[in-house]
Amino acid sequence: MMNSSHAATSINGSASSTNAAAGQSQGLKTYFKTPEGRYKLRYEKTHPSSLLPYALAKSITQITLANLKDQPGPQADLQPSSSYSASSGVRFVASRFLGGGSSNGGRVLSFVGGTGTSKSNGGVGRSSLTGGLNGCNSTVNSNCDGKGTYLIFNVGDTLFISELKSQDKDPVKAINFSTSNPVCHAFDSEAKDGHDLLIGLNSGDVYSVSLRQQLQDVGKNRCTSITWIPERDGAFVVAHADGNLYSKDGTGDTSFPVIKDQSQFSVAHARSSKSNPVARWHICQGSINGITFSNDGKYLATVGRDGYLRVFDYLNEQLICGGKSYYGALLCCAWSADGKYILTGGEDDLVQVWSMEDRKVVAWGEGHNSWVSGVAFDSYWSQPTSEDIPENVVYRFGSVGQDTQLLLWDLAMDEIVVPLRRCPPGGSPTFSTGSQSSHWDGIVPVGTLQPAPSMRDIPKLSPLVAHRVHSEPLSGLIFAPESILTACRDGHVKIWMRPGHCDSQASNSEALLSSVVKEKTLLPTKVGGSGYK
Amino acid sequence: MGATGSKLEKALGDQFPEGERYFGLENFGNTCYCNSVLQALYFCVPFREQLLEYYTTNKSPGDAEENLLTCLAELFTQISTQKKKTGVVAPKRFVQRVKKQNELFRGYMHQDAHEFLNFLLNELVDILEKESVAAKSSPETSSLPEKSANGQMNGQANGFKKEPLVTWVHENFQGILTNETRCLRCETVTARDETFLDLSLDIEQNTSITSCLKNFSSMETLNAEDKFFCDKCCSLQEAQKRMKIKKPPHILVIHLKRFKYMEQLGRLKKLLYRVVFPLELKLSNTMENADFEYSLFAVVVHVGSGPNHGHYVSLVKSHNHWLFFDDENVEIIDESAVQTSFGSAQEYSSNTDHGYILFYESLGYNNN
Repeated sequence: MMNSSHAATSINGSASSTNAAAGQSQGLKTYFKTPEGRYKLRYEKTHPSSLLPYALAKSITQITLANLKDQPGPQADLQPSSSYSASSGVRFVASRFLGGGSSNGGRVLSFVGGTGTSKSNGGVGRSSLTGGLNGCNSTVNSNCDGKGTYLIFNVGDTLFISELKSQDKDPVKAINFSTSNPVCHAFDSEAKDGHDLLIGLNSGDVYSVSLRQQLQDVGKNRCTSITWIPERDGAFVVAHADGNLYSKDGTGDTSFPVIKDQSQFSVAHARSSKSNPVARWHICQGSINGITFSNDGKYLATVGRDGYLRVFDYLNEQLICGGKSYYGALLCCAWSADGKYILTGGEDDLVQVWSMEDRKVVAWGEGHNSWVSGVAFDSYWSQPTSEDIPENVVYRFGSVGQDTQLLLWDLAMDEIVVPLRRCPPGGSPTFSTGSQSSHWDGIVPVGTLQPAPSMRDIPKLSPLVAHRVHSEPLSGLIFAPESILTACRDGHVKIWMRPGHCDSQASNSEALLSSVVKEKTLLPTKVGGSGYK
Repeated sequence: MGATGSKLEKALGDQFPEGERYFGLENFGNTCYCNSVLQALYFCVPFREQLLEYYTTNKSPGDAEENLLTCLAELFTQISTQKKKTGVVAPKRFVQRVKKQNELFRGYMHQDAHEFLNFLLNELVDILEKESVAAKSSPETSSLPEKSANGQMNGQANGFKKEPLVTWVHENFQGILTNETRCLRCETVTARDETFLDLSLDIEQNTSITSCLKNFSSMETLNAEDKFFCDKCCSLQEAQKRMKIKKPPHILVIHLKRFKYMEQLGRLKKLLYRVVFPLELKLSNTMENADFEYSLFAVVVHVGSGPNHGHYVSLVKSHNHWLFFDDENVEIIDESAVQTSFGSAQEYSSNTDHGYILFYESLGYNNN
């Protein structure tokens, strides 16, 4: 997908309250059609149904695809020992960052990750983390070198890891956090020292794990989004619900001065380059709901409760451009692979296309019947090269919403990019000229945020296809080379094979079947291990 | 009760808004439908201020005939003039008056909060209109124009067509819908205006208020049994009909039709659907295509799985804090807690808190 160099993509869910959910219900079709062919439901992944914790009532679902290239490291990242040594693969990176600094430091040290010091079982709550890791240590190892693609998703207080290409619904691994829920994660196959998965917790703590990472967020200061910085070895960025964003590098603990003006953008740096986090960016009032880097790592896009998309020059710590939603909070954002466009989705039910060139919204996708919770460009889709004019670039993107639908869109741009050719039936006749003139109004100066556009000024897109994919509101979407992945907020993931991949996969899966069956019989005991206590 | 009050004060600390009062309301046996609506109305600041003003200009004991308006004004004044910042008030006189006025609310049965709100607002309008007429007919009292802030003094000579009076209740809550019907034969568009104090929306599973509003204004074809009588064609014709908002109200009250009569069951059923509502909203189905922005300030929540029992509470935004009012109890809550009252995506659910009446206040037009 977008950060293909990292072989990882992730989907963000939004906070929601759920009933103990069950049945992915009837009436959902297992395929949908697009001009290029038929997408078929291939696999479903879920958490073990016997283990519906009550904690599910406040679950946040995110999924991350992790591509383990080869052996994750000879020192057995997933070693079933109960020690907290570095090789156990869990490292506590940072405690939650409160503006005042306060006495977090002591707490951090009391929990010992894999940083070398081994005060065993430091915190009461955290000791169960090891329990979880060890208790569930399973098929990842049994699969020899652990090579392959994994699906990581969180439900309630547990992080689950499934194999992407297996018939098995149940996860191969479960990591339980008894004190707080994991809420966001990011994976980087290039991470040095094998700590390739970041996990943010509801309490605001961050862990780095080999193959998995958790974010916790508690109350107002929960982590909302986390991402690796492209091309910057080991550095990553975490967004919090209090409108702050931290970039982190090594280990340690930093305190930052109190934010003076909550409404102003400000950056504070750590005094020592060795401490962590290395910087705090105060972006906005209210929660930051999503962050993503452009593929080259130059730009960082954020969306938040205040409804603004903001694009920063990351190295220069400068706001480049941004704009407000039609109304309400923005929940998700994604870059096109070439860095020219940003998609956002939010509480106005619209999918917004932001042009970096024009520094403004160039199209609104209308089609969701509820909030848009996940957006992504499909960088694996290639435009049919038939009779289309070659200069006319078409982008394929997708969106998922709380209306339980997956929508696919084609964004067709001519050389000038704006105006778009599409307009809704019955749109006003003055419409196209209107948008054209506003395009020539001139480029907006650097660092200004655009107000909410007027409904009639923005060209509208209609979806290519709309498909109801789950029975619960959706929380995320990933485009993978052979499939599309959708996740809903009660922890179900569905994998839709692209046209042309269905058949070959079918035979492939039959070959796999025997081993899969074997795993299934093994699994219940493994997954039901101590991690769930 | 006193303890919770001080707890709330402690929670707010020096952020306690100056001059504001957060008081719970005593429940007299299933009067939560009333309490929840009263709290939402109390924190509808322009409405509250009008009522308080009404109380001060009308408290002369001479014309002390008690009615719902005077009772409500008295109750709001009682809350706003409390010495303490938090506590509990018993809306006794008001509830008695409601029961006296309308037999529907007389028993101890569970009542519908929306019906109550509707009854109350219409009752207030009636009283204000009567007062205005009385004021006009007796020239001595016409020197008190504050009584009906906007009494239309001109035009009443034109006896056969009375201009509808615009009271301050109207100024706050009234909007105008236009019902546009286009005859498919002669293409003539007939537009008929109707006023509303709230919008009742049909709801569907896993949708948003934005989507429900869109459906409300979507084009509907009148055909077969349901044809339209076109004045130009002088006959029944097929037609297309749609509702547009001609004048958006200052306070937009949205009622979600969660209680639906199920014909096959022969009774009401509560729809537990998940319907999300944003904290900011724009009406795009307006006539002038104005992007009119609203901000959510109160939600009346129905708690319970059926229509004939359960409980009402309200979530209210005051001075950028969200508060939870449950009869006597008042608590401060996080903004994100509003999301817990969206409803459930599955038919059977343990979560039965559902946003039922939404109160949005206009922020005016976008000035960009």
